[in-house]
Amino acid sequence: MVKRLLIISALLACGMAEAVEETAPRTSVIEANNVDSDGFTEPLKALKFNPGLDQREFERSTLAALTVYDPLESMNRRIYHFNYRFDQWVFLPVVNGYRYITPHFVRSGVSNFFSNVGDVPNLFNSLLQFKGKRSMEITARLLLNTTIGVAGLWDPASKMGLPHQSEDFGQTLGFYGVPDGPYLMVPILGPSNLRDTGGLVVDYSAENWINFLNVAEVSSNHPEVLALRAIDKRYTTSFRYGQLNSPFEYEKVRYVYTEARKLQIAE
Amino acid sequence: MLRSLRLAALLGGLISSACAWAQTIDAASYGYPLTNPFEATIATTPPELRPELPSDDDITQSDYSLNLRPERAFTLPDNFWPVKKLKYRLARQDHEAPLMFLIAGTGAPYSSSINEYLKKLYYKAGYHVVQLSSPTSFDFITAASRYATPGVTKEDAEDLYRVMQGVRAQHPRLPVSEYYLSGYSLGALDAAFVSHLDETRRSFNFKRVLLLNPPVNLYTSISNLDKLVQTEVKGVNNSTTFYELVLNKLTRYFQQKGYIDLNDALLYDFQQSRQHLSNEQMAMVIGTSFRFSAADIAFTSDLINRRGLIIPPKYPITEGSSLTPFFKRALQCDFDCYLTEQVIPMWRARTDGGSLLQLVDQVSLYALKDYLQQSPKIAVMHNADDVILGPGDLGFLRSAFGERLTLYPHGGHCGNLNYRVNSDDMLEFFRG
Repeated sequence: MVKRLLIISALLACGMAEAVEETAPRTSVIEANNVDSDGFTEPLKALKFNPGLDQREFERSTLAALTVYDPLESMNRRIYHFNYRFDQWVFLPVVNGYRYITPHFVRSGVSNFFSNVGDVPNLFNSLLQFKGKRSMEITARLLLNTTIGVAGLWDPASKMGLPHQSEDFGQTLGFYGVPDGPYLMVPILGPSNLRDTGGLVVDYSAENWINFLNVAEVSSNHPEVLALRAIDKRYTTSFRYGQLNSPFEYEKVRYVYTEARKLQIAE
Repeated sequence: MLRSLRLAALLGGLISSACAWAQTIDAASYGYPLTNPFEATIATTPPELRPELPSDDDITQSDYSLNLRPERAFTLPDNFWPVKKLKYRLARQDHEAPLMFLIAGTGAPYSSSINEYLKKLYYKAGYHVVQLSSPTSFDFITAASRYATPGVTKEDAEDLYRVMQGVRAQHPRLPVSEYYLSGYSLGALDAAFVSHLDETRRSFNFKRVLLLNPPVNLYTSISNLDKLVQTEVKGVNNSTTFYELVLNKLTRYFQQKGYIDLNDALLYDFQQSRQHLSNEQMAMVIGTSFRFSAADIAFTSDLINRRGLIIPPKYPITEGSSLTPFFKRALQCDFDCYLTEQVIPMWRARTDGGSLLQLVDQVSLYALKDYLQQSPKIAVMHNADDVILGPGDLGFLRSAFGERLTLYPHGGHCGNLNYRVNSDDMLEFFRG
């Protein structure tokens, strides 16, 4: 009985959603309707076009998307070009060398280790945002990976269905309603804004203070640990300068960064 | 022997009468899950139906650059320093092997996701692979294009041919047994023209050429793409722009899912969720991405040729100067605008050319009809629901390619390229 009620309510909800949104049916309506003698299904016929074909929605949306608060644009663009060069001439060659001299399992061990260390600020920020379920999950990850995963060299938690979730202090600030502030291109680190750059500093000092697995203490004596961490960070970041292959890459990166942060904060 | 021949003839006759020569694959036996062409175009194949591919770590590959237009180093503004040389990617086998050239689609660089996918597919099958940018991509226009006004396919093919020759000259010790060529979308049209050019220049003697989802009539294709941003989208109003609408949906999707997970299956999974986009919204997304390509092409071509339509000639640009005002202007130019404002005037001035119709005939597959009919080495794979086609285009493909046309019932524009059935067919074609 309960089951049936559930099904009925689910169906109703679906129907309501369909009625409210009046979306097109899930699978194509094009089939069999207008297949011409060549077998062409004329996909565009299924669409409802604006009658005058003169709407300016693409232009309107895109122009609106270009208004990101960026008072330091000139400096940011210079830093963007500096980062681009640094990436091509220093960072990526080093990462390639790292890829060349280490076997795959070493690299994934290094990535897992630093990711596990990074779960400490993730936990702390997730607690600050009162995300109960997520805090539990991150705690479970830390416990599992630090013990069974031997100090985080393996990541058994992900295999058990606890995926890595990142929360930083910039997100925490955003959660409490702190605005983005001006867009910033941080040397070497890449796109950011005033709020998130501040958040980065807080996360870094918190990590030093907690000194989880002695990483902070060891890296202050042995800068090579920091260097390895930086290389691993670049190794695991798939973004490449120039990958958008557009004269307007700066604008596009700026928009995507801003929206991605909004999404991370809302979620 | 004679009997088997007769049997073959009979079989051939039966097949040909059944489906007018082309290999038409019916939807039931094809089994591609995305029957909606827009969904297929955006989400492509669900990961579990893709072929198994090697990871980047298992491929010996590097990026190289060619200095084909050294004068551009002096004429281009400072902040275009990364595109003064043309980059390409070469994946090499450690033994003698055939070499495959791949040409990217509209506006796409050599490292586009479809090029990367095709590279992995062919590399695994034992080919050296060279990935090339599309002649319409930003880096190609600045670094390799003689007239920097892509769209006249014959000229684009000549530029590409030079690039290919440059690539070969840069790797004299690469043991290559024979050359193959493939391209997708606009790159497929380019590949057909490159192959035609190769018949007279004979640098490569391509053994086989495969066109994946080429435009047939280039003008139909760009009109279709321009039109995609004219759909009536529900939910767009004075306070919500189209991007905000899509981003809101994405945010709600992640909230319902509980965490952000960016992976191959994301778009497919998103379309299965409550927040899925309608046909009109998906069309708008596809149209938007092509409009960005159109803006890049219009701006770059105008900048290099100093036409003064978007950016004033001699406008001082340094690494710190904002390009946003020009971006805003370029955004208002769609493919049709680029064609009428930049391609046609240049084409008329250079070739004493005539009307738009003549140009369309010259730059589309029509120009190569006789060649395509007589060249058994060229084949084409296309979809019956591809958004870049118009009525009659498939008829042209049937008459030009005959049984060398493979027509899939679904897949939208290039959405089924990474479906296992398609990848098997592609490898099979090159295997011969």
